[in-house]
Amino acid sequence: MEYKVEAHRIMSISLGKIYNSRVQRGGIKLHKNLLVSLVLRSARQVYLSDYYSGVCLNTQHVEAKEWELMDSNQEKPLTPAPEESLSPSTDCNQNPVVPEDPEVQHTSQAVEDSTDLHSVYSKHQAEEESSSEDSTTDVSLTSSPVTCESQCEAKGAEVSSSDCEADANPATVTEGNSQQPPKAHSCSNRKRTAEKTASNDSPVKRTKVTSSNSSEEEAEEMDTGNVSNLITIFGSSFSGLLTKESSEPEAETEDSDSGSGQICCDQMLKNLNPWSTAIVAF
Amino acid sequence: MEGDGGSEFRQWCLSQVKGAIDDDVTEADIISAVEFNHSGELLATGDRGGRIVIFQQEQESKALPQSRGEYNVYSTFQSHEPEFDYLKSLEIEEKINKIRWLPQKNAAHFLLSTNDKTIKLWKISERDKRPEGYNLKEEDGRYKDPTSVTTLRVPVFQPMDLMVEASPRRVYANAHTYHINSISVNSDNETYLSADDLRINLWHLDFTDRSFNIVDIKPTNMEELTEVITASEFHPLQCNTFVYGSSKGSVRLCDMRAAALCDRHSKLFEEPEDPSARSFFSEIISSVSDVKFSHSGRYMMTRDYLTVKIWDLNMESRPVETYQVHEYLRSKLCSLYENDCIFDKFECCWSQDDSEVMTGSYNNFFRMFGRDGQPGMTLEASWESSSPRCPLRPWRVCAGSRRNDDEIGVDCLDFSRKILHTSWHPQDGIIAMATINNLYIFQEKLN
Repeated sequence: MEYKVEAHRIMSISLGKIYNSRVQRGGIKLHKNLLVSLVLRSARQVYLSDYYSGVCLNTQHVEAKEWELMDSNQEKPLTPAPEESLSPSTDCNQNPVVPEDPEVQHTSQAVEDSTDLHSVYSKHQAEEESSSEDSTTDVSLTSSPVTCESQCEAKGAEVSSSDCEADANPATVTEGNSQQPPKAHSCSNRKRTAEKTASNDSPVKRTKVTSSNSSEEEAEEMDTGNVSNLITIFGSSFSGLLTKESSEPEAETEDSDSGSGQICCDQMLKNLNPWSTAIVAF
Repeated sequence: MEGDGGSEFRQWCLSQVKGAIDDDVTEADIISAVEFNHSGELLATGDRGGRIVIFQQEQESKALPQSRGEYNVYSTFQSHEPEFDYLKSLEIEEKINKIRWLPQKNAAHFLLSTNDKTIKLWKISERDKRPEGYNLKEEDGRYKDPTSVTTLRVPVFQPMDLMVEASPRRVYANAHTYHINSISVNSDNETYLSADDLRINLWHLDFTDRSFNIVDIKPTNMEELTEVITASEFHPLQCNTFVYGSSKGSVRLCDMRAAALCDRHSKLFEEPEDPSARSFFSEIISSVSDVKFSHSGRYMMTRDYLTVKIWDLNMESRPVETYQVHEYLRSKLCSLYENDCIFDKFECCWSQDDSEVMTGSYNNFFRMFGRDGQPGMTLEASWESSSPRCPLRPWRVCAGSRRNDDEIGVDCLDFSRKILHTSWHPQDGIIAMATINNLYIFQEKLN
């Protein structure tokens, strides 16, 4: 349990850092924010792992089902990201009948799959904690490359490479994520989509010779000066998290409490998005 | 952590302390770069206010043959000013990130200094003569009335008080979207590289309007970003070789002869992660904060948050030596994450003969390792507890909050006092390091 609290605390701290970085002199520092987002992701993995740890059921066919749901819910532009999110779970899945009683889900089951790495993170038995708003939905899956790649290759796996360190693990974690988090999921899918498209529109040109006088083509990546809310910083993948957090911190609690696995699951599916770094805005 | 290096280590004495000795430190005075030039005669420091102060070593005095000359202020100038990028509504800090000297070719000295976005080439020259005796100008510069001139004379050079001038010779701007973290002069003395988070550019010193992009790790989709470039350096002898460290703890060596765009590395130096040591912060502490070639060019040193690693360029699988800088912090990573200390980027440096390496730590401690696999020595940069010509006493750090004469508990460490920037004299046993706003110079005790 204390791990959960710790993970939650780390997530809060990380978000605070990312938020503060926007007002720092000198602009947002890519390196530091990347590291902070990695920590945030790890913490979220741990935090949510408990929910879903026990939900591992038949992976394949449930996953397939979710992919369908996912696709139908997601808008096309989001292609690369959303697919990702669904990926990881070999074990867990998004089981529409999500057990309403998270307590039943024990990390132990999940842990079996996750072996070492995961066990490092989640030794605790978590019980569903609705209040963990930060737990953010989106962060869904930091997904281990193992699970991820198998699912997402076609879709263009994304950040998972960064998670590669979690080789040994984590389907558990990921699955957990994908499963509905009690809260957060009300993040608007729509908003995320918009973010994503916006952030992906910058053409990346690799010029061998860059004239020092020419304006930078990548200017937009650093253009966060006018952003006034976290969503823009994080781009679509964080939008759920942020909207939830900024707009209805309390509501999350309520949402999470809703025992209806079905509803939660659907919400989750709609809002699934791969966890990607906060640096999308860069 | 044992700290008594004993006889096999050099002994160090505090030589000088530069900067204000008071507690009222302004942000602008915080030193952000320290670098000896190639002869060691000059020592440059840059601060967050964009200023550069150059110290010059005085000639060895006959009176004190045992000690090397002291460093005195030679030149002070404003290198970078704060700027505002109107297009992105971003302020560009004037903080000097790195200073690198060019090898000396004539009487003048040249150095490159950089902030987050712009690199400048400065020429530091001396003037100790000036022409006097103009016919049409008064000594103070006013023009004479031509009709008042009755005789003509030839102006001659007269000695004057030494004046050191610093003038910007080149400004290399607008080539980096992200924050510049490294610059490195090539051994060919014609080109240099500048590295930001995602790209490395190659410049020719003479041309400011163009640079070549030689490394670009920016993903097409920024959401896929997983690592950034954290440090980069040219090989000291091979002008075609350079390395860059990443936030994931790996170092890539690239050969510019292989391709114009060196995205594919020639060598990848990476040590497999120890799965038992994983934590939330494993990724952060593995990020390479500095990479330095040895003078011989055979070895390379990397610094991450907790360790210093020496790599043989011929072996990519693992470092040949690993030294724990402050392993006692491993259990405190969460607190260090909260107070942002975990993001501190420590530099490291080689001794003049590559037999030792040195790096900074917290509580104004610095660590010396003797390339022998031993735990190394912990010394403190403190003007209060050191007297000149008296060898520094090693410290030990223990658990808890004990404090003795030579031992201090982890809980007593002052994390606001840290030594991030260090430089070792290229030919002598002299080291310079910056605490928050003071420059410390230590000399090896000669017996």
